Amino acid sequence: MIKMVGALLRRIYSSFATNILDVPPRLLAFLLLMVLLFLPVARLDLYILRIVTIALIFAIFAASWDLLVGRAGQVSLGHALFFGIGAYLSAYLSRFHGLPLWATIPLSMLFCALVAVLLGFPCLRVKGPYLTLVTMAFPLILAVGFFALDPPFGGEGGIALTRAQRLFPMEALYPQRVAEYYLILFLLLVSAIILYKIANSKTGIVLVSILDDESASKACGINVTKYKLLAWAISAFFAGLAGCLYAHYIQATPPTTVLGLTTSFYPVIMTILGGIGTIYGPIVGAFILWSLMEFTLWVLTDFFQFIPFIANAGDELRIIVYIGIIIVFIIKWPKGISKFVVEKLDELTEKRELDERKKK
Amino acid sequence: MPLFEVENLTKRFGGLTAVNNVSFHVDEGDIIGLIGPNGAGKTTLFNLITGFLKPDSGTVRFKGEDITRLEPHKIVNKGLARTFQVVKPFRHLPAIANVIVACLSPRASKKLEWLKSPERKALDMLELVGLSEMMFEPAENLAHGDLKRLEMARALATEPDLLLLDEPFSGLNPIETDFLTKSIQRLHLDGYTMVIVEHKLHALMKLVKKVIVLHYGEKIAEGSPKEVSHNKKVIEVYMGRVA
Repeated sequence: MIKMVGALLRRIYSSFATNILDVPPRLLAFLLLMVLLFLPVARLDLYILRIVTIALIFAIFAASWDLLVGRAGQVSLGHALFFGIGAYLSAYLSRFHGLPLWATIPLSMLFCALVAVLLGFPCLRVKGPYLTLVTMAFPLILAVGFFALDPPFGGEGGIALTRAQRLFPMEALYPQRVAEYYLILFLLLVSAIILYKIANSKTGIVLVSILDDESASKACGINVTKYKLLAWAISAFFAGLAGCLYAHYIQATPPTTVLGLTTSFYPVIMTILGGIGTIYGPIVGAFILWSLMEFTLWVLTDFFQFIPFIANAGDELRIIVYIGIIIVFIIKWPKGISKFVVEKLDELTEKRELDERKKK
Repeated sequence: MPLFEVENLTKRFGGLTAVNNVSFHVDEGDIIGLIGPNGAGKTTLFNLITGFLKPDSGTVRFKGEDITRLEPHKIVNKGLARTFQVVKPFRHLPAIANVIVACLSPRASKKLEWLKSPERKALDMLELVGLSEMMFEPAENLAHGDLKRLEMARALATEPDLLLLDEPFSGLNPIETDFLTKSIQRLHLDGYTMVIVEHKLHALMKLVKKVIVLHYGEKIAEGSPKEVSHNKKVIEVYMGRVA
């Protein structure tokens, strides 16, 4: 019995060693995961924990955008639509119908996928930049709609949620936030793995073929519309998850945030920053963007405390600063930071293998 | 009943009649050439047949079935595949994945032999056109001649009963032309029915049994290569009128 367990453990370890430890980019991803896993153990400041948690939520959102844009080539600048619908629907169902979250969140995700398919039928008649412009309009229209319908949608603040409708309705503040953090990290991990698997499956290959040349795809006998709708639905499904988590985490659904232009643009910045079409790129991008945003805020308000002119306007000024830094990043690494790192690591391993061969 | 039939097909672009009342038919096992000077409407005719353009009038029949206004992918899944004059590779995908896409079409997956994966079949197709050494090379790194062959492999992977080749020889050097001629002959022996649009008459005339000549969207001649090359109208179109 003990022998069997030992053999099993040895087997797990050897597969872990060959599949993860020996592949530098995977090792890096594994280390990042370890850091994220042990972050709350260090009894972080609640504020920082909140920032990291929201970065995790946006990482899900950006990864879902990457499947749609980096793989299928359907450039959407209105992805906040699904984020917003997910947030509102889940908040509405739990607040006014008293449904538990384990029911409202999956329901909202499915509803987002449904909306994507229904909107896809008329919208996919337009292509390229026209499609992009059409997608941009939807969340803005919906935001105005929610604004106008104060009861039940709560106007400017959106639907206010109580502590009972958080992901973990515990009494103690810190353990609650830590539990939420772990749940969201787990969901990010699961969604990222699913999205990555889809992106690198045969379906993913067909999606890239549509991105590269739609008419050639048709000439291969591929029902392009069906695959596009599938990409929209999967992407909306996970964007909806991000929206639900966000609503229950901040206990509100302010329409200008969850359906705002900024929310539509975050995944674009994160994906291009991290590396488009990779799925892991946007996740890295989300952490970089969020840390940059917080870092610039800290520098401007705390470091420049002695210059009130800067410190008071820190919240607005930081946008200029971090966008400037991002532009430099994108010019320096146009393929994205994660792709750059992966390529560099591959080069290094190749070099090392060559050196070893020379020694022999 | 012929395998494939085009009847009175007409397409206008504004005031220009690109294809005017063209009819022809293809029997099983045939290999037919479609020639004509630039702008004669050869590619437009292909686009009408394969559903990329909708005709103004006329019908296209394939295996006795009217396929005139079907969507391109449905036509491909009925067994009518095409290649493009300007190569359309999936740039980001390696050569083998380019072919796998075609192997994933409903028709190809239904016809997949028992215990054979789409990947395996894609590799077979690459071997058929002589590209298997490049299987992992991204399509954007391939040379023009290789892309032409990739285009062929992709069309063959959809298991066509009729193959439409749009200028397969354009941009190929003599060696590549020779290789392609041999591959097409081999496909013909394997029983493939083909219609080939071509500018390079020299390469084409060796291959085909029947030639159709288009000029300003109209069919002006049809017959064996010998008949056609002695046809007065055809000589006029290609050489200009004798003063």
